[in-house]
Amino acid sequence: MDENATTDAPLDPAGMLALVREQQRDIGLQLGGAVPFILLAWGVSWTIGFLSLWSVDGLANGLPLGAAIAVFVVLFVVAGAVSAFLGIRSGRGIRSSPDSAFTGTVYGVTWSIGFVGLTAIGVALIRWGLGDLANLYFASVYVFFCGIMYIVAAAIWHAIPALVAGCWLVLVAALAPFFGYPGNYLLLAVAGGGAFLVMSAAMFVARAVARRPHV
Amino acid sequence: MRITAALATLAPDESIEFPRLQELLGMTAGNLSTHLRKLEDADYVTVAKTHRGRTPVTYLELSTRGRRAFEDYTEALRGLLGEHP
Repeated sequence: MDENATTDAPLDPAGMLALVREQQRDIGLQLGGAVPFILLAWGVSWTIGFLSLWSVDGLANGLPLGAAIAVFVVLFVVAGAVSAFLGIRSGRGIRSSPDSAFTGTVYGVTWSIGFVGLTAIGVALIRWGLGDLANLYFASVYVFFCGIMYIVAAAIWHAIPALVAGCWLVLVAALAPFFGYPGNYLLLAVAGGGAFLVMSAAMFVARAVARRPHV
Repeated sequence: MRITAALATLAPDESIEFPRLQELLGMTAGNLSTHLRKLEDADYVTVAKTHRGRTPVTYLELSTRGRRAFEDYTEALRGLLGEHP
């Protein structure tokens, strides 16, 4: 193993172990570099988006409904695009087995299937008289679904942070309807979007600490 | 050792393209090539050459032997330093 040391002087065992750990930490930071930015994108999108929807009837001079919906949808699409772009970019040049590729593809497609299905159910409910309760339905089921997908990701890839985030989102989504309209939007903005902002900030801090040179 | 450590962070069924590995390690292409050849000769690294259209692409991963050697080596280092798993 010593032939591939890039330093001239041979390192002692402590030095070698430190080199190995440092290198692996550095690779981990580089490969995982997109995650805090993805969390930030969703945090901003949900916080501003849900606050906009809340403002329609939650604030004296809130946004008109059409504008609030437009803000939410645009931010959602932008966050989705940023997420997809950064996610794909971080995996570039890395190839996995057909089994792993299958798992990843099925997981990725399930996001779309879920959102389309839940939307269809919601539209049908509106058709059969759901009315203003649509506010409670759509917001909660989308966030609930995100939570479940995070939990599933945690199960597949052994990611504890995703498990914690997923459980939190499920909890928030399930609680929101009890607050009624427009309170549900406020809860989702603060506890949902806010959670993503907190996770993102925590990751940025943790990475800055990890990047400091170790003695 | 840096190269082996870097490749060991990939999952056992993952392989990485040469340019991406070069980027992650911050090494020159020549330097990385030289070291990889030694690792390949020692049977620690598997090199798979394919094409994407007309462009040749080289994928690299630790061989089973290489992964085991790395794990044994780091375990031995930890043992020497009195760290216990």
